[in-house]
Amino acid sequence: MTKPIIEVKNLAKEFDGNPVLKDITEQVNPGQVIVVIGPSGSGKSTFLRCLNLLETPTSGQVAFDGQDLTTLDTKRVNELREQMGMVFQGFNLFPNMSVLENIKLAPMKVKGVSDADATKRAHELLQQVNLDDHADAFPSSLSGGQKQRVAIARALAMDPKVMLFDEPTSALDPEMVGEVLNVMQDLATQGMTMVVVTHEMGFAKSVADRIWFMADGYIQENSTPDDFFAHPQTERAQDFLSKILM
Amino acid sequence: MKKKLLFMLALVVTLLVGWGATSTTTAQAATDNSLARVQKKGTLVMGTSPDYPPYEFQATVHGKSQVVGMDVAVGQKIAKGLGVKLVVKSMSFDSLLVALQTGKVDMVISGMNPTPARKKNVDFTHLYYQGGYSIVVNKSEKGLYKDKDSFKGKTIGAQTGSTMYNESKKQTTNTKVKGMTSVSDLILALQSHKLAGVAMEKPSAQAYVANNKQLAMIPSHFNLSASDTSAAVAFKKGSSSLVTAANKSVDQIRKQDLVNKDYLPAAGKYLKTNTVNTSMWHYWKAFLTGIKYTLIITVCSVFFGFILGVLLSLARMAQGGVFKTALRWLATAYVEFIRGTPMMVQVMFVYFGLGLIVNLPALTSGIIAISLNSGAYIAEYIRGGINSVDDGQTEAARSLGLTNTATLRYVVLPQALKNIWPSLGNEFITLIKDSSIVSIIGVSELIFQSNIVRSDTYRGVAPIAVIMVLYFIMTFTASRILNYFERRMQHD
Repeated sequence: MTKPIIEVKNLAKEFDGNPVLKDITEQVNPGQVIVVIGPSGSGKSTFLRCLNLLETPTSGQVAFDGQDLTTLDTKRVNELREQMGMVFQGFNLFPNMSVLENIKLAPMKVKGVSDADATKRAHELLQQVNLDDHADAFPSSLSGGQKQRVAIARALAMDPKVMLFDEPTSALDPEMVGEVLNVMQDLATQGMTMVVVTHEMGFAKSVADRIWFMADGYIQENSTPDDFFAHPQTERAQDFLSKILM
Repeated sequence: MKKKLLFMLALVVTLLVGWGATSTTTAQAATDNSLARVQKKGTLVMGTSPDYPPYEFQATVHGKSQVVGMDVAVGQKIAKGLGVKLVVKSMSFDSLLVALQTGKVDMVISGMNPTPARKKNVDFTHLYYQGGYSIVVNKSEKGLYKDKDSFKGKTIGAQTGSTMYNESKKQTTNTKVKGMTSVSDLILALQSHKLAGVAMEKPSAQAYVANNKQLAMIPSHFNLSASDTSAAVAFKKGSSSLVTAANKSVDQIRKQDLVNKDYLPAAGKYLKTNTVNTSMWHYWKAFLTGIKYTLIITVCSVFFGFILGVLLSLARMAQGGVFKTALRWLATAYVEFIRGTPMMVQVMFVYFGLGLIVNLPALTSGIIAISLNSGAYIAEYIRGGINSVDDGQTEAARSLGLTNTATLRYVVLPQALKNIWPSLGNEFITLIKDSSIVSIIGVSELIFQSNIVRSDTYRGVAPIAVIMVLYFIMTFTASRILNYFERRMQHD
């Protein structure tokens, strides 16, 4: 059996005494696509942000590649973070830089890649997300879908081992959702390990290897998409599915 | 990091203690061998307030503006007697004695009367000149006034901090006495009928009347002791060796009546050539110097103020252990203190106060004081700018593996800077105007230069109008340039 790339043990997170994540123990294997679904406010985003320590867990362990992030110093955390790309609901592109500069910044400043190499790689990634003709544009001139594709290219520029997606299509106009999901599907096909928080059930059904259903601070179900959508085990999941599939 | 900062703190404390120790020793040394010290450095620095012709005033000599007058001649005689070179330093009359006590100047010759109050704080030489007081009035009103007692219900003026000011207050009844720093301002107030008369020493009164046909003079009839109507050279308290040496020259001046025979006629010549051409164009060099220093002070202060502001704002936002809390507390205290005290006081504190520890030139002191002041304001702008940058920007940068510092430098600060650019621009324009405050310590920026032109030409309003236009040209140009860069930074 392969070694898991992410291992979460007894993870809990409180905000000012309010428990958001209660006791989560799960693992992600290399190449897997995990889709986390669940009702709003169930802690999906907080969970994802605990994986790369954007939120510090209150207790429990988050291990990446066998190393428990919660025990490491800031420098090591920074080093491990670059191996986990993250895509946000709000894109968070740097508005003061062009598309190309957005993508080149981290490789050059973190990894010390030369300008020429970083530029070359940035153009490759922009071709991959179908935006190479916008390399010199500034984020403000792009549509939401284009921005999110640039954000994906920016995360990929660090050659991460895992990609984390935090509701990547929730802020998009409906007609732009498809272009972003296509890029994510391509990534999955190429074998990228992905953890995706989303409300796109179609994407979950067709792309996910495992569905993690989350509610009330716990992962209530961990199953294949076929099992989950056809035979949800818990009452919480049945209730959730009946509401969204109506 | 923590260790390094602690070490630096220790270093600063050590330096402060060390400075304290050395400053006491130098003070003692000055007491013991003031004469030897002056002779060793080869220069004798004379402080004076050059708006009091014919005692001292600015004149254009061989195309260069310099301080001339009978006091300068006295200073030269003393310097020659000591075998050293005379250096003349201009500042406002109020600042002269402070400058002497803090070692900015070696002696003060500025038509200063050796009053008992002054004698408590400084040592005076023998008298080099004995004059009297007159009151300058408008020629059209000359018939109305006879002497000091004719001004009942009226206002007369005198130079702030001068003997005339105190005596005018004491020896008049029902008369308001208004003090102003410079005599040229007083004359201007007289001509615009804000004052009915201006009390000043007789030679000065003669000079003003000779150069301005609209003025006339009347005797004052103040009841005065010899020490009130005479002038002596002031030295730092306790420098008896220097006073004794200077007295040799002063006695010669009195014995040979050099002031009346040589110095006053020579000063009169400067006054005449001085008033030949009072067109403002004639003084373009003086104004240009003023613009140069105003811009130097402003640009340097904004530059250093910005660096200080970045550091302060980061310190104010430091979160974490005891050390960072202390840092945050210190930065907050600094910002509050600076914003809660007048810039003018800060300028004087840096020049005179820090002057006790390190002898800083006026320009440097001015730049330091204004940078320290501006840093506090800029820190608040930057803090606001950083807070206005969306948290998502930091998260995105951190998720890419950027360190805290790199995130700040490449992502947060550039955006914060864009957000606060208009505020920074305002600060720059405000500083162009507020840098005029350093004129009080004698930096030749635009206000200071205009005061020189005013006392030089005996024209009060024209130089003010000129610098108003010059200030506007500077601020307007600056705001256009800043707008241009603001537009360049707009990407969203």
